[in-house]
Amino acid sequence: MESRLLRVNLSTGELTGEVIPHSVFERWIGGSGINNWILWEHFLTHDINCDPRGPDNIFIFGVGPLAGSGAGSGVKGRITFKSPCYNMFGDSAGGGKFPYMVRFSGYEYIAITGRAPRPVYLHICNGEVELRDAAHLWGRDTAETHALLQQELGDYPSKAHTLTISQAGEKQVGIAGVVSDALRIHARGGGGAVLGSKNLKAIAVQGNGGIRIQRPENMLAWSDDFRQRIDGNEAVYGFKRRGTLGAVEMYQHIGSHFWRNNQGNMFRGDEIRSDNWVKKYHKYSEVCSSDCFIACDGKYKIDGSESEAAKKYAGETFRRPEYLTTGSAAGALDVRDWAEVAHWGKLTNDYGIDNQDLSCSIAFLMELRERDLISDRDVAELFGHEQTLRWGNMDDIEACVDAIVFQKNPFGELFRDGPYYGALKYSEMKGQNFMKYATYGKGGASFTEEMRPFPTWMNNMAVASRGADHLKGIGLIEKFQRKDLSKIYFDGRTEAADLSTPELKGACTALVENQVALLNSYGVCLFHWMLDPAGYTPQDYYGQAYAAATGIDYTPEELMLAGERICNLEKAFNSRVGMRREHDTVCERWMWEPNPEGMYEGKVAADMFDTVLDEYYEWRGWDRESGLQTRERLQRLGMDDVADVLAADGALI
Amino acid sequence: MSAVRQKEMVTGRVDYPRGAEVPNVVEKLFALRNQCTECNVCEVACSLAHSPDGTINPQYARLRIDHAPHKPSRVNPLGIGFVAEICHHCGNPPPCADVCPVEGAFYYDPETKAAIIDQDNCIQCMECVPGCPFDVVFVAPSGELLKCDLCGGDPVCVKACATRPEMLNEGKQYVRLPVLFHEEQAEFNAISKQKPEARDEVGMMQAMLERGEISSSA
Repeated sequence: MESRLLRVNLSTGELTGEVIPHSVFERWIGGSGINNWILWEHFLTHDINCDPRGPDNIFIFGVGPLAGSGAGSGVKGRITFKSPCYNMFGDSAGGGKFPYMVRFSGYEYIAITGRAPRPVYLHICNGEVELRDAAHLWGRDTAETHALLQQELGDYPSKAHTLTISQAGEKQVGIAGVVSDALRIHARGGGGAVLGSKNLKAIAVQGNGGIRIQRPENMLAWSDDFRQRIDGNEAVYGFKRRGTLGAVEMYQHIGSHFWRNNQGNMFRGDEIRSDNWVKKYHKYSEVCSSDCFIACDGKYKIDGSESEAAKKYAGETFRRPEYLTTGSAAGALDVRDWAEVAHWGKLTNDYGIDNQDLSCSIAFLMELRERDLISDRDVAELFGHEQTLRWGNMDDIEACVDAIVFQKNPFGELFRDGPYYGALKYSEMKGQNFMKYATYGKGGASFTEEMRPFPTWMNNMAVASRGADHLKGIGLIEKFQRKDLSKIYFDGRTEAADLSTPELKGACTALVENQVALLNSYGVCLFHWMLDPAGYTPQDYYGQAYAAATGIDYTPEELMLAGERICNLEKAFNSRVGMRREHDTVCERWMWEPNPEGMYEGKVAADMFDTVLDEYYEWRGWDRESGLQTRERLQRLGMDDVADVLAADGALI
Repeated sequence: MSAVRQKEMVTGRVDYPRGAEVPNVVEKLFALRNQCTECNVCEVACSLAHSPDGTINPQYARLRIDHAPHKPSRVNPLGIGFVAEICHHCGNPPPCADVCPVEGAFYYDPETKAAIIDQDNCIQCMECVPGCPFDVVFVAPSGELLKCDLCGGDPVCVKACATRPEMLNEGKQYVRLPVLFHEEQAEFNAISKQKPEARDEVGMMQAMLERGEISSSA
């Protein structure tokens, strides 16, 4: 297994191709693992405390060996960089066609450094690379940029597929993401701001090279078996029809939404409580990630007759909202009309901006106004004009979005790095502590779900390498109380699925983080695994597909060690920028404010938080006091080189 | 690329002399227009299954996904969609084989009766490309001509399709139709003539209510 890495230095215009040797795959598996390694190596020769918006930062795109390999488990590309909004490790995954097509263009990994003197875009076609002028694309949103590039580049040797930033990225807004084919966003961490700071508007790929599978017979047999497993799982059918929207009704039942900046945890509004959106707007599936046996995505069209609000958006079509689009609009901002929720999804995608950070920032300000902690005059001061801030009012919300995307006024400038830094700066400005009303974890914006009753999720939020993140260590075992899975993972013990005890919660985070790191490194979608985590184990079952694609035969134990290695490298990066145990924390609202309603009323995160965190460090083999890694554990993982660097920085025990 | 694996896959090689009577393909491939989700699974699976060295490349696949603008209709309200372009396995000899100037460049799979291009004998004159009335003989970047061979009777594209019947059979009722079919012509005609109401979710629920399979209080 070998792969091609393209290094682009935008300052000098230097473009070099490199081969990523087999040994790197053996150590780092691929995808996010290799991205992390490129990031780590880059910051051995560059100052790790550099300005993430400066030319010294690096932007890496990579796609794992199982993506588009016929395995049928989806395609996920990964961008990795030093996050400009959280000032620590940052990465983000995204699907669609770009990560699939990039594999035919001649390069599977792209590392970008420096800063171009004027706006450019990168064009890769069958191994030929060129930096082209992007003056005509500057100032356009992602949909326009994508359409223009497809038109410009034509259909030969294949259609062009793009990774673009919007005006928000150009203005280096910290919560701006990168959008693949104008449909799917790599939102987290501010990849868009990194590209914007480098004056790189887009990456466009074309090509008709092939993807080499080492053992095609094995891959065909594996995919046959995998398909049968999927078809035998009833949960998949509902998921195909509704995607993550299926969670709306269930979360309403258990009180797991994030309503009005998490002052409540159930949706209000009769219609929004159920996923009947699917019946009303959902047309047929149209856009899918490539090479996926499930194809859960769909498109909507608003024809204007659905509701009063829908009239305004008549004729609009886009991808149907997923749960977090709904959670951020119908939840955090209390929007009560499906047409508006769908429009929110399109709006944030066209502006290429993280709707979690965005909704939490807006909700923070709305709550301050609702509680009369700030007056209309304060709001006018922020916006430069009279501005109402009514929950669920799309005009007010769009005014806030515009302010942040175009950096129009003090509000936009304050909240360009999300709710945590926004709230900090605003508290400082007003001389009042408003942090109580900001929702965040480890500096990152909240994930718009109620988490206080769920100790594993709280732990995920606090320890995730990219800040307040659920995807690194998804605590589904606990949320769905799957005792069967707990038994499989922990030798017959069921505590991981029991909400009443802190036992095994930290252990569960550590274990699942390793598994997810593996999946991310394969370059596949998490949902195939989440629909049946026990069946499609990343180390065992997916491991066979990985062996077929790469020719690397690893035992499940070796793969789990590789997963742990990848997690430890992310941790090491954060230790180098000064993150310690005190940073592994969540906001006051979750920590101390009792869960207001629903099945788990009265719970606060502080109940179990520290016990769970201690257990997490213990399972990780890290130091409990400081949260730092130990040489002993790193040695066991074969990471002596990393330990030496950490020791030199004083970030090792 | 040679056709080594392709030959292994079909049940055996039988040459038919030109002009001889050959039975028609009974179970053909069909694609329903505008139901496709463009997930590329069929292209990936097809190119992998037919590649001699395990290379996935949609441009070597024996079927293509094309953007097919369509008039909006009840079943396709957006009026856009994708269609899998796929060999129709016309009567034997098919038009593509009929125009071929080389003896032995086409042969037949005795099991499925599908006409198959023999890459060793093919001179790549490309006569068959315009010869195909459905434009589904493709030219690979290497110049090789690509035509569906029905994979020896068990087409990988149909098995892998993200809208395969197994995927759509929610509650044991089709809420919509699959994209790819490996069926007899009459069977496919019956399926494709089903009224749209019988396919969409609301229509299906109505039909189930009428048949008493579900109750309205549920």
